[in-house]
Amino acid sequence: MSANASDRKTLLTMLEKESITIRRNIWRALRSAGSGHVGGSTSAADLLAALYFYHLNIRPKEPNWKNRDRFVLSKGHANAALAAVLAQAGFFSEELLDDFYGYKSLMGMHPDIKLAGVEMSTGGLGHGLSIGVGMALGQRMQNINANTVVMLGDGELQEGSNWEAAMAASQLKLRNLSAIIDYNKIQQSGNVNEIMNLEPLLGKWSSFGWAVRELNGHNMVEIVEALDAIPYASDKPSLMLAHTIKGKGVSFTEGTHLWHQNAIDEDSYQKAMSELGQPS
Amino acid sequence: MINMSAEISSRTQNQSRLAFGLALAHLAEIDPLITAISADSVDLMGLADFIERFPERFVDVGIAEQNAMGIASGLATTGMRPFVCGYAPFISARSMEQLRNDVAYANQRVVIGAAASGVSLGVSGGTHHALEDLALMRAFPNITAIVPADARQSWAAVFQTQNIDGPVYIRLGGRIPEDPVSNTEAGFQIGKAECLHKGNDITIIACGCLVSPAINAAQHLSKKGIGARVLNMHTIKPLDRESVLTAASETKGIVTAEEHRITGGLGSAVAELLSVENPTPMRIIGMPDEFAVVGPTPKVREGYGLTSANIVNCCKEILNY
Repeated sequence: MSANASDRKTLLTMLEKESITIRRNIWRALRSAGSGHVGGSTSAADLLAALYFYHLNIRPKEPNWKNRDRFVLSKGHANAALAAVLAQAGFFSEELLDDFYGYKSLMGMHPDIKLAGVEMSTGGLGHGLSIGVGMALGQRMQNINANTVVMLGDGELQEGSNWEAAMAASQLKLRNLSAIIDYNKIQQSGNVNEIMNLEPLLGKWSSFGWAVRELNGHNMVEIVEALDAIPYASDKPSLMLAHTIKGKGVSFTEGTHLWHQNAIDEDSYQKAMSELGQPS
Repeated sequence: MINMSAEISSRTQNQSRLAFGLALAHLAEIDPLITAISADSVDLMGLADFIERFPERFVDVGIAEQNAMGIASGLATTGMRPFVCGYAPFISARSMEQLRNDVAYANQRVVIGAAASGVSLGVSGGTHHALEDLALMRAFPNITAIVPADARQSWAAVFQTQNIDGPVYIRLGGRIPEDPVSNTEAGFQIGKAECLHKGNDITIIACGCLVSPAINAAQHLSKKGIGARVLNMHTIKPLDRESVLTAASETKGIVTAEEHRITGGLGSAVAELLSVENPTPMRIIGMPDEFAVVGPTPKVREGYGLTSANIVNCCKEILNY
């Protein structure tokens, strides 16, 4: 095995371990909360691991570093996943995860900009991409050599504001902006395609002027390759359409809208942790 | 602050909306972080100078107020100083959630220039009247809400936003010239009411295009031997509590006047304060709880009693004159 291939393997192993830890931390946080958005948090875990432990140029000990890359979780209800990965990256102590939904906690159901590492308070859906356009534009206007990444939910793409932002990103030729769709195909009340179908989704983004790429959002090799390839075009924003599984990692939460948001009792918590196992 | 030269004075056509755009171009010269975000509002806001001089700091998002507000928030997080320019009825209501979440909740330094407010687009009807925007701004924490009374004050407001560490909403007029209410910018300080007529019998607290009728009313009353104090309450939020409380204690009553629905506007703010701190006889002049009729703006204003004569009558009522 060449040195490069060996490095790659080490990287992938590390990222996969972080993914497992993110999922464990999601369950840890949501158990302390008593309930939460398991489905959309765990579907995003592998993508977040690759972003925070590979792709984003950030300094967890210097969260307001001017030249950092910026990440916006537009699907703010997946905050347990964001909090988990920020804690693991070292923005704050993992013990804060035990105060999820606590009184006056910075760990609410949705991200709070007052918490180190959180770039924007999100939660109202369809906001993140416009904010990301502003961030990427601000970086470009100030000649900051940095990128902005926005993670979008699939259900939230039903909000029309996303498409205003998509048009603007293309018009402004924001090559330093990328968006990742966590395409788990299930929203709060059921299947996305039955409630309000998004397809042909890749074609929509392409027609809005984005350079697009499709991948399996749980395959770390594909995720890393897709991130490495950004920007996909020299004068366009990049769109990663990541096919994922809602509730990924635990048998009884996978592929069902019932775990979009649900109460978490001790029994389900123990079963989930047992299935996830320890990162080895 | 740059003084408003005669040239600038002539170019604003006595319109606060045009003064906003011209002032912004001057501010951008001093501060390289100033950015203008337009929701198809270049002519409305007099942005031609800005675009000519700083094209790299200008973005037109088109008819997309939600996007304008979200982009402004994102820009502000990077340290830029975005000024969002749009029509008051749309930039306040269409983008209300972005304004609440991305700007106010996230407490970003975004300035919103909202032109064609009130019934300035009178003939356009209820879809184009902005008569609840101040109520919205008052209800959101962190926002400073300003209503310049004339072009000069609009100019001053643009510059003074530099001192505010949070979002600012500047409510501007439409294409009808606004009577100049003062000769200098010196009297305009965000957060501090401006006394434009002295008097110790009654107080008129007005904002925007009602300041000029308020001064006329005070002059009329003075001929009758009634001393009316006129406060230009250009900053609706945070309210200048001290000036209101002083007026309540030094005069016999307060009449407020605004081109906004009575629900949640200037009169509301004054009444909320006085009902707790110093209950005082009041009359609130503003738009009633209905969608305003269609018509030429002066006629619509007159029809709803946004007039000097109505202010005089309300003052007399309180004084049992």
